[in-house]
Amino acid sequence: MKFSKIYVTVLATTLVVSACAVPQAAPAAPQGAAPTPTPLGQEENVAKEVVAGDLKPPVVAQPCGDNCPFKGQTVTVIVNAAGEKGPISGPFYEVREEFEKATGAKLNIVEVPFAEHFPKLLTDLTSGTGQYDASIAGAWWLGDLVGGDYILSYDQWYNDPRFPQWDFEDVLAGPRSLLTYGGKKYMVANDHDGQVMYYRRDLLEDPNHKAAFKEKYGYDLKVPTTWKEFRDVAEYFNGKDLNGDGKPDNGLTMHLKVGGQGMFHFMSFAAPFVIGPENKNLFWFDPETMKPLMDSPGHLRALETLVDLVQFGPEAMMGWSLGEAWDHFLRGEAALTFTWGDLGALAQQEGSKVKGKTGAAMLPGTNEYYSIPKGQWIKVDSVNRVGNTTGGSWAGVISKFSKAPEATYYLLALMASKPKSLIYAARGWDGVDPGRTSHFLPPDGTAKLDDYLAAGWAEADIKDYTKAYFDNFNAPLQFPYLRIPGTFEYWTALDIRLSEAVTKQKTPEEALKATVADFEAITERLGREKQRQIYIESLGLK
Amino acid sequence: MNEALSQSIPSRQIHKQIKLDNRLFIIPAVIWVLAFSIFPLLYALYTSLFSFRFGRINEFVGLYNFVRLFNDANLHSGLRITLVFVIVSVSVQMVLGFGLALLLNRDILGRSLLRTIMILPLFATPVAIGYLSITIFYEQNGPVNTIIRSLGGSGIPWLSNPFWALVTVILVDIWQWTPFVFLVSLAALQALPDDLYEAAKVDGASGWSMFRYITLPLMTPILTLILLLRLVESFKVFDIPTSLTLGGPGRATEVYSLFTYRTAMRFFDHGYAAAQGFLLLIIVSFIIVTLYRRIITNYETE
Repeated sequence: MKFSKIYVTVLATTLVVSACAVPQAAPAAPQGAAPTPTPLGQEENVAKEVVAGDLKPPVVAQPCGDNCPFKGQTVTVIVNAAGEKGPISGPFYEVREEFEKATGAKLNIVEVPFAEHFPKLLTDLTSGTGQYDASIAGAWWLGDLVGGDYILSYDQWYNDPRFPQWDFEDVLAGPRSLLTYGGKKYMVANDHDGQVMYYRRDLLEDPNHKAAFKEKYGYDLKVPTTWKEFRDVAEYFNGKDLNGDGKPDNGLTMHLKVGGQGMFHFMSFAAPFVIGPENKNLFWFDPETMKPLMDSPGHLRALETLVDLVQFGPEAMMGWSLGEAWDHFLRGEAALTFTWGDLGALAQQEGSKVKGKTGAAMLPGTNEYYSIPKGQWIKVDSVNRVGNTTGGSWAGVISKFSKAPEATYYLLALMASKPKSLIYAARGWDGVDPGRTSHFLPPDGTAKLDDYLAAGWAEADIKDYTKAYFDNFNAPLQFPYLRIPGTFEYWTALDIRLSEAVTKQKTPEEALKATVADFEAITERLGREKQRQIYIESLGLK
Repeated sequence: MNEALSQSIPSRQIHKQIKLDNRLFIIPAVIWVLAFSIFPLLYALYTSLFSFRFGRINEFVGLYNFVRLFNDANLHSGLRITLVFVIVSVSVQMVLGFGLALLLNRDILGRSLLRTIMILPLFATPVAIGYLSITIFYEQNGPVNTIIRSLGGSGIPWLSNPFWALVTVILVDIWQWTPFVFLVSLAALQALPDDLYEAAKVDGASGWSMFRYITLPLMTPILTLILLLRLVESFKVFDIPTSLTLGGPGRATEVYSLFTYRTAMRFFDHGYAAAQGFLLLIIVSFIIVTLYRRIITNYETE
């Protein structure tokens, strides 16, 4: 009886403690923007609270008075749920009054969780309901949306003086390529995603670390330009206290949870192992046969290198999404990472321990790459670096079933206008990452440093940040973005296989072979020849 | 008056009227079953015969989607993981839930409070529990690892290791559903007749003997029912692994329903997803019917 009482008490206490557990140890995400890239099938844990500041985009469109062009119409926009002060969705609330006064139309904003966005949109489009006039879509959806003939090109309106004017050519070549499909314009520029490397400037400039690093590795500690150097720097700082809390920290941080967008890490990372001056396009499939290329020696070396790198991060990052991985860096617990522009902006927010210490640079490269067309490794004289537009680059597309397509374009063009876009890019919290000439500082662009300082940026950080993005988007070699039907399915397969490799369930070679098998099954199901034609078109090879 | 009426209407006519009334009364039920059971089933069968492209029906493929079921290693992996999950999770829930019910069926201090607290997890939304568990099992400074470390142990990779991730999903499911077993078992225990126990005590029966020869046989029907309910529910588990691990690392916690969900709602391969649904229906039906018959046979034999 006594034993049973103790037993019951212990069990009950356990259940009570579990039931009442307060999430006190939750990853303390910083105040700031949620990710503009794509949560694959899961809402992120990053903070949605935003300090908007005083920086507001200027009014561009004048009230229409009695002569409203779209009076009585309603524009319904579907966007990833993030709230009135959240990334990507926030600016729509901000512009609503201006848009309605200028056009006489009503703006209806429908926020849906990321996981529901594409299914809801596609259901609306396949049924021809026309519930949504526009979607703020991920760039990789274009394969399905254009392939299914579901969205309208805005070519006819782009130069029409009835609409707000914005400069297509202002967008740098890399992200600009995502706005078109088959030679037609579909996405109205908004966000410009790409991955860059972030490093702790204070650590890399520290004389003690410089001396110790040189003694160990035989060369100067500097911003890594190759993945080999990146590895050395990560190894050197791993286990050292990087934020003064007396605890050992990590050399790097990544987000490698299934559904945590780890495959984007692999894409950006693997690019210079495969793409080079003599192979600008062949990364995903052979355009002749639509056979996957994912198990090439270049891909294999990239995955082996990535798997090797994970030892310099916390084991927990195998179960991390963006929020946790970024939080680790923002707490000052990692020396390096590579991810989207949001991290640079978040580093400036209250709660960040790395404001003024966050350097950024274009992703490192390699000294040789495997040319798939030639079937051999090719050495390069300097460093083979490849720009990327990895991510969602969330931007508006217009439904073919819209009952107010012109009013819809008006809205998207208004938000794409230069004065507004500059403020969006400078603020950071609204999820719009820089990608236009007008976003970059001289000599690369026309933006003013004061615009960014007014948004709360540390001067050194913003100079590095904009330079990194300019170099990334302006690089002669760009990672070939996949935009064919089933892209999400291909990427999910890669995401899962990558996770299997980094958690040692499969060797890198096995993981890539399995990826190829998965890709083949998807291609077979969707129709090899149809996929091939669209793939060629998406690469601009047709 | 009634007698006169009954004499004036032939009995055959009365029976006919009653029969007609009966039929009219079941019409709502028939409509319900047709609309919400038969139609979806038939539509799913129809869907399973087609391939899809851009979210629309593409072409008739006959039984091809069913053939794919046999060649899909990822689906087999999902099935295997689900079986492990079901066996471990339901077994522990049954033993723990029934055990707790037995213990709290006694007269102990704070029994009512303990009973109330015990069933709290049952009222939480599984998807919320999944997300909360990310925090509880957070590896770096989550409460569970913090306790383990404070006791001198090293943190467990709850969510980043394939083995431990499955353990975590199972633990969370056990945490949520053990109270169900507990609650129903306790209600059944309290309904058992006291006189049997009193008679057994007079005869000098031990506690174990009373449990073995009175409690267990009397509880078998309700335990069978609980087991079947939990089996059916566990085969369909979706919320917790989806919110907690999204099936990872790799496919370590990708249960069958999550695989089917991805097929339908992420890859828009509705035909194949429908075929997967039928496979699960067949497997679960087979297991449930077999188990039910066996248990009933044993029960009747005893």
